[in-house]
Amino acid sequence: MIPTLLRMELAKLWRLTSVRFGLALLLVFPWLWAYAPGIFEVYGFFLVSGFQVPALSLLSSMQFLLPLLVAITAAELLGTEMAHGTLPTILLRPVTRPNWLAAKLIVVALYPFLMLLLFLLASLAAGVPFGFGAFFGGTGLGEAGLLGQGMLTSGQALAEIARGYALAALALVPIGMLSLLFTVVFMNAAGGALATLATLIFMQLLVVFPSLEPFLLTTQLNAYATPASEVLWVMALIALYGALFSALAVVLFERKDF
Amino acid sequence: MSTPAIATDALTKTYGTRSVVRDFTFRVNPGEVYALVGPNGAGKTTVIRLVAGLAFPTSGQVRILGKDPHQHPAVRRELGAVVEAPAAFYPYLTGRANLRLHADLAGGVEPGRIDEVLRLMELDDAADRKVGVYSLGMRQRLGVAAAVLTRPQVLILDEPASGMDPLSLHLVHSVLRQAAEDGTAVLLSTHHLDEVVAYCTRVAILEEGALIDEVNLFDRRERFRARVTDLAAGVRALEAQPEAVTHATIRGTELVFIPRSADDLGRVSTILAEAGVGVLEMNRDVFDLRAYYRERVSAERARRTGQLTATQDGRATGTGHGGAA
Repeated sequence: MIPTLLRMELAKLWRLTSVRFGLALLLVFPWLWAYAPGIFEVYGFFLVSGFQVPALSLLSSMQFLLPLLVAITAAELLGTEMAHGTLPTILLRPVTRPNWLAAKLIVVALYPFLMLLLFLLASLAAGVPFGFGAFFGGTGLGEAGLLGQGMLTSGQALAEIARGYALAALALVPIGMLSLLFTVVFMNAAGGALATLATLIFMQLLVVFPSLEPFLLTTQLNAYATPASEVLWVMALIALYGALFSALAVVLFERKDF
Repeated sequence: MSTPAIATDALTKTYGTRSVVRDFTFRVNPGEVYALVGPNGAGKTTVIRLVAGLAFPTSGQVRILGKDPHQHPAVRRELGAVVEAPAAFYPYLTGRANLRLHADLAGGVEPGRIDEVLRLMELDDAADRKVGVYSLGMRQRLGVAAAVLTRPQVLILDEPASGMDPLSLHLVHSVLRQAAEDGTAVLLSTHHLDEVVAYCTRVAILEEGALIDEVNLFDRRERFRARVTDLAAGVRALEAQPEAVTHATIRGTELVFIPRSADDLGRVSTILAEAGVGVLEMNRDVFDLRAYYRERVSAERARRTGQLTATQDGRATGTGHGGAA
């Protein structure tokens, strides 16, 4: 049953307005950003390699744009079922509620990876005019930031970028789960997405409690820059958040009246 | 006795302090069409959703083919339902694709079945159009098509007549009637009392979430009344012929009876004549469900209002005594 449901959910994902709009935005975004005239004034550096464009794209969107897109898509994936009235219709079939929601959770977990893969490809395409040879500096996604620690080969740069994007996608997964959880609670897409954004904003304010900061979900949005020695810890924390939000969503969904 | 297709025991649903369904017990047997009628807010849709397993009872039990649908989701393989009005489908998929999806989720249907139900509901021409452009009536017909897709043993429909033109309505009724004749148990909620009278077996009248009456329409439809020369002898004579008459009783100055079949109606006169009972007049006992429904609901409301007034009086009296004390 799960493969049928997964196929169904993946097909739905592509039809969502937020996905089409979001992906179109992510295709255009790197081009605007890489050639923005005020980039030096804002960030204090010039691009010297096409490998730096993906970092620039990620740095400028990870704190708001990407979490927003993930939250809206996750909320819409469940919210449209309510809006179309298809949720009760599907639940009348011999499908268990946990299985049905699990299919949605899996798709929501996959979506940040698909989205960031496209974003990475678009960013690399936007970086073509800067070239992809070895260069002095950093990609912005390694431990040495954009300034780097000397010469970086193409292979090293690509590995740094791939690692950074993979960690960024992973950090976005619990946000999708949180949005799905709130949508289960409020039973509408707008309520789910807004509650998620409000929670993220609230968490960002919690940095005034320094002892909490390393554990906050919003802190993990910087996972792309995590030193190798801390990657496992960060991944475990993200997985914990994801598991917690998913489990809560399933438990609440199981007892919901439709 | 065989297991009822649908059975509830003291089904109760409460939201906060408000009970929307109260102690509702009923059975629907295979081959029966059971209708829930009642004013808006009487709890019909909630009962449908509780029975279909979409909502959880606060107390009481629901059994579909002897099993709790929450604990045994597989029993839904034998359930076809339309719980939204209009029936809900993915608007960006065609009618056929939506049915294919339902078939996949149900574990598959035999080849050609999707085309068959599309033809049955006269949607074959619109099958490859997106549901988003379907009219209300077409969606309802597609809903019925999806409900009967897996040849379920139980059909549950909330307001199947909603938004339908008379021809579509006739089509849906004939499909439901045929399903019942094939042994399917049908539970539906409706405001259209004409459709209830036309083919339902039994009807439950709900008011404020409680069952106030259950009428056996099969008996009512087939009932005849006769003015005869000797009522007691007439009843005795008909009761002695159970192969021809299923029920005989005296109502006022008339003999009321139910022949086992239309053919047996002719035999009734012979039976009475052989018993020396003269038949002065014989007519079908036309049952006016609308009038009956109005009378029962009004009586129930008057009873509750009376109770409420009595309670308020009691409370006022109690307060007075308290004050005096």
